[in-house]
Amino acid sequence: MPRTPAGPHPFQRRLLKEYQGLVKANLPGITMVQHADTMSEYIFRIQVQHNPLYPENDRYYLSVRITREYPVDSPQVQFIKYEELDDEEASEAKIPIHPHIYSNGHICLNLLGDDWTPACSVESVLLSVQSLLGTNQVLERPPDNDSYVRHAPLNPKLTKFTYHDDDV
Amino acid sequence: MKVEIVEWHAFSTWHWDIPGTGYEDELCGICRVSFDGTCPNCKYPGDGCPIVLGLGCSHNFHLHCIMKWLEQDTSKGLCPMCRQIFLFKEGTFGAEDGKKLQRLVDGHKATRERGPNESDQEFEAFDGQQVE
Repeated sequence: MPRTPAGPHPFQRRLLKEYQGLVKANLPGITMVQHADTMSEYIFRIQVQHNPLYPENDRYYLSVRITREYPVDSPQVQFIKYEELDDEEASEAKIPIHPHIYSNGHICLNLLGDDWTPACSVESVLLSVQSLLGTNQVLERPPDNDSYVRHAPLNPKLTKFTYHDDDV
Repeated sequence: MKVEIVEWHAFSTWHWDIPGTGYEDELCGICRVSFDGTCPNCKYPGDGCPIVLGLGCSHNFHLHCIMKWLEQDTSKGLCPMCRQIFLFKEGTFGAEDGKKLQRLVDGHKATRERGPNESDQEFEAFDGQQVE
């Protein structure tokens, strides 16, 4: 994984605590498959439990990158198409279909933008994303998926999402 | 028996006296380090890296941590923990720091009173009709 330049993160102690907390919490359905030595980049495997729209053996991969301004700034979070090398059972990695998840992996979630506060954490992001899938009732892409994906920046944090749908 | 003290060393410990909380285990909600420790940029705890007590809400932070948060527009001047408008009690830090903190709090207040910001209005105007 690429390294973040310019020495240790200003909030390195918090990053370490969060990493230790994640290992200890061992969240059901969430597995850390990769992490950078700096604790500022992660890949998680997310399995959705108890939602027939997403079969339990489907695996989705979420990339979490801690920015230099974390935790006053939200992390960069998106689904990615990731292949686990040493996992023979792994089915083809997909971007989950959801009205708030674009086919390029970008997620429209208020917690990742306007409603982020330093009291949130990698763990709270993981739980929110998992519950976004867990509570979903329609297997659809966002209505503007094609036009968004065509023009989207690589970094979803550069998109100014509007959050208008509190029901999903 | 007579005891003669030849030499003695005094020592003391200190901690922030935060009224009404179990201060000992309390961590700054931003850097997740104890109040008796420092924010990530400071070396010496205590007066060198003071704490700020929330007024209205009961959340406390290292001064330097909460300032960093309130410097962000995205903070909207809210407490990171409970999202109420962040106000603070005087007395745990110096006058200079107090002024800086007050400026940040006032800045957000002014933004709130101005209502929806200009860029939002532009976006809506653009959405409706394009001006030649």
